[in-house]
Amino acid sequence: MVSTILFSAFAVLAVAGAAGLVLLRHPMNGAMSFIMTLIALAGLFALLSAKLIFAIQLIVYAGAIMSLILFIIMFLNIGEKDLPDESNRWFYFGGGAVVIAPLAIFLLKVVNKLPSCEATIVGDSFGSVKGVGMVLFTEWLLPFEIVSILLLVALVGAVVLAGKREGKL
Amino acid sequence: MSAKVKTIERKGRTFLEHLYLVEVFKGMAVTFGHFFRNLMDNRRLYVRHYPEVKPEIPARWRGRHRLTTHEDGTVKCVACFMCQTNCPSNCIMIEAGERTDGRSEKLPVRFDIDLLECIYCGYCVEACPMDAIRMDTGIFSVTSYDRESMMIGLEDLLTTPAGCSEEEYQKGGC
Amino acid sequence: MSALDILLVILRIAFGAFVPLSFVAVLVWMERRGAGYFQDRSGPNRCNVLGFRAGGLIQNIADAVKLIFKEDIVPGHIKHKLYFILAPTLVFITAILSFAMVPFADTLVLNGKEYIMQAIPADLGILWFLAVVGFGVYGIILAGWSSHNKYGVLGGLRAAAQVISYEIPMGLALVSLLTIYSTVNLSEMARFQGQLLFGFIPMWGVFLQPLGVIIFIVAAFAETNRTPFDLAEGESEIVAGFHVEYSSMKFALFFMGEYVAMFVSSALIVTLYFGSYQIPWFSTETLVNHSKPVVFLLMLAMPVAAYFFNIWMKKNNRSQYERPNDPRVFEAQVYAAVIWSIVIFIEIIFLGFLIFSSGAGGARILVALLQIACFLFKTFLMCFVYIWVRWTLPRFRYDQLQRLGWQRLLPLALLNIFITSAVVVSLA
Ligand code: SF4
Ligand code: SF4
Repeated sequence: MVSTILFSAFAVLAVAGAAGLVLLRHPMNGAMSFIMTLIALAGLFALLSAKLIFAIQLIVYAGAIMSLILFIIMFLNIGEKDLPDESNRWFYFGGGAVVIAPLAIFLLKVVNKLPSCEATIVGDSFGSVKGVGMVLFTEWLLPFEIVSILLLVALVGAVVLAGKREGKL
Repeated sequence: MSAKVKTIERKGRTFLEHLYLVEVFKGMAVTFGHFFRNLMDNRRLYVRHYPEVKPEIPARWRGRHRLTTHEDGTVKCVACFMCQTNCPSNCIMIEAGERTDGRSEKLPVRFDIDLLECIYCGYCVEACPMDAIRMDTGIFSVTSYDRESMMIGLEDLLTTPAGCSEEEYQKGGC
Repeated sequence: MSALDILLVILRIAFGAFVPLSFVAVLVWMERRGAGYFQDRSGPNRCNVLGFRAGGLIQNIADAVKLIFKEDIVPGHIKHKLYFILAPTLVFITAILSFAMVPFADTLVLNGKEYIMQAIPADLGILWFLAVVGFGVYGIILAGWSSHNKYGVLGGLRAAAQVISYEIPMGLALVSLLTIYSTVNLSEMARFQGQLLFGFIPMWGVFLQPLGVIIFIVAAFAETNRTPFDLAEGESEIVAGFHVEYSSMKFALFFMGEYVAMFVSSALIVTLYFGSYQIPWFSTETLVNHSKPVVFLLMLAMPVAAYFFNIWMKKNNRSQYERPNDPRVFEAQVYAAVIWSIVIFIEIIFLGFLIFSSGAGGARILVALLQIACFLFKTFLMCFVYIWVRWTLPRFRYDQLQRLGWQRLLPLALLNIFITSAVVVSLA
């Protein structure tokens, strides 16, 4: 019962935040509503008792990445006049809605067709730091390492790009 | 004449100093020494417990103003407006009136100093040809709850006594 | 849920909420008097209620009254009023929330049920702290940005850049700590630190991670925006940084948030590196099993401590100038009477404990109280270190700050991880 209420609250917040991200004009408003979405998603993870993902969602996405984005918004100090002219955005919204609608209806139908089943939590360590770590570093070690190499590549790329620009100056 | 050259050794270049932490701990030891000494015995604080224990004001201290008088009690000021003209913050307002005691032609009937604007520079004292205005009252704390009472008038200026004796004042110069 | 359950839930949440708040008062007082004594001044010592100054604590009441009754101004040029008001609230709430998962005593076992002594009894531990503290930055960024003031923006930028860059060495220092404790749960960490190293050194994080503790403490100082890393509010250069435009209670929220953050990070440093609530050499079980001798020792120690404290107070609590019938001497006498009556009261309780106690329940509660006291004492000492550092070190320059973070602490933290994991693997 409580979890249903919480789920609906988080879901509404998440959707509202996402809508705000698209609809609000000022980048700061957009960023703040996106943060709201991220926090609501973290709440949904917590409801699924995925504690690690909950923490990571908060630390990495809502905490680190979004504060960098806010930092940049503040750094650029965008005024009302710097924003691009978006007078025909309602036209795009309408077009987008028309294109998306069949897909959305299809998805809704699929979800409705799914057989309902009770979700139960498997064991005490499900979603906890230890549980996820165990699975990650035994069964999924290779993909994990590949992803970490991907991150390393991005990191080196950033360093190289930054170094290049400095050389030119 | 050969200049005396003194080479000053530059500090902060050794490895230990570069580590920073050692120096931090040294500094913290010094401050903790002070803290501990004062905590154990607060008589040793280097403070004067101000409102109760007043500081000694030397004769040369430029405190609040006063107007001096002749021996017979008449005001020395001749309303020459020197101080008012000289005042950098324009905070003296004098109104002259006729003088009947025969000492001179004029005397101030109004002499206001706005202490909120005064910067206690002492130019008025320097400018006065009659040694009529002085800042030797030794009043260093000029405070009030409203602006109006920070405007002191002739009465106040005349009745405030000197903070030091005449000889001391003369010895102090100015 | 039995009545005991509900009572303990309420107690724990109250502890988690009110202890940081009351520490704000203590810390502000400590900061002022401490600053005074470090600089050979006396600090606030005139404010009193009926002549009772409580060592200067009354000054806090005066401050609170002043801040509450000040006019609450939202300057007219501020466009985003919502963010302007949200910012101080965010700073304050995140500061308080981050304390929620710090254990303040060992798990209490009553009637065969276990009660984890944290405000929120979940096992996220250090991750929760990292997650919540990350949100504190938003408060600062939003405050700086919505103030629409160049000093505010500069302060906000500095604070944000500083917190983001010091979170990395902090996290890395934590990684090596986690390899040792092999858990993220703060309660388990605390229990781990109850063991003994080589049989005689308490197995505290500080002995296992001497490099890590330095990195963590430096990073924690930077995270809380305290001197020497308080560039965000450098009064001499950018007036006061992100809270220039704030007044009244909104400013007070920033102010209290800063002190709560200081308390929480002290609590966390204590939990991670200084043995948490563990009384060195006395594990929970030892204490519970020998509760009677412990109580007896306490009964002996308390009057002695009170005696020496009274001597110290008599010497220091009097006017240091000529004053007929010094009222402060009378004040000291009243305090002495209060202290002695408290001592006698506690002695009576202990005596009752000695005579009537049976079973482990009372002993466990007693041990929990002792551990809470120990935890608070350690945290208090750590807060004192914060204040001590603040009144010793000058402020960093901004480039020095970033260089320290990225070029010194980051490689050191990485090195620390390598060494630690090598040692852990080779010992396993
Ligand atoms: S002290 Fe200076 S500012 Fe004050 S009244 Fe005299 S001349 Fe004016
Ligand atoms: S105080 Fe001195 S300078 Fe000023 S008007 Fe009187 S005589 Fe002149």
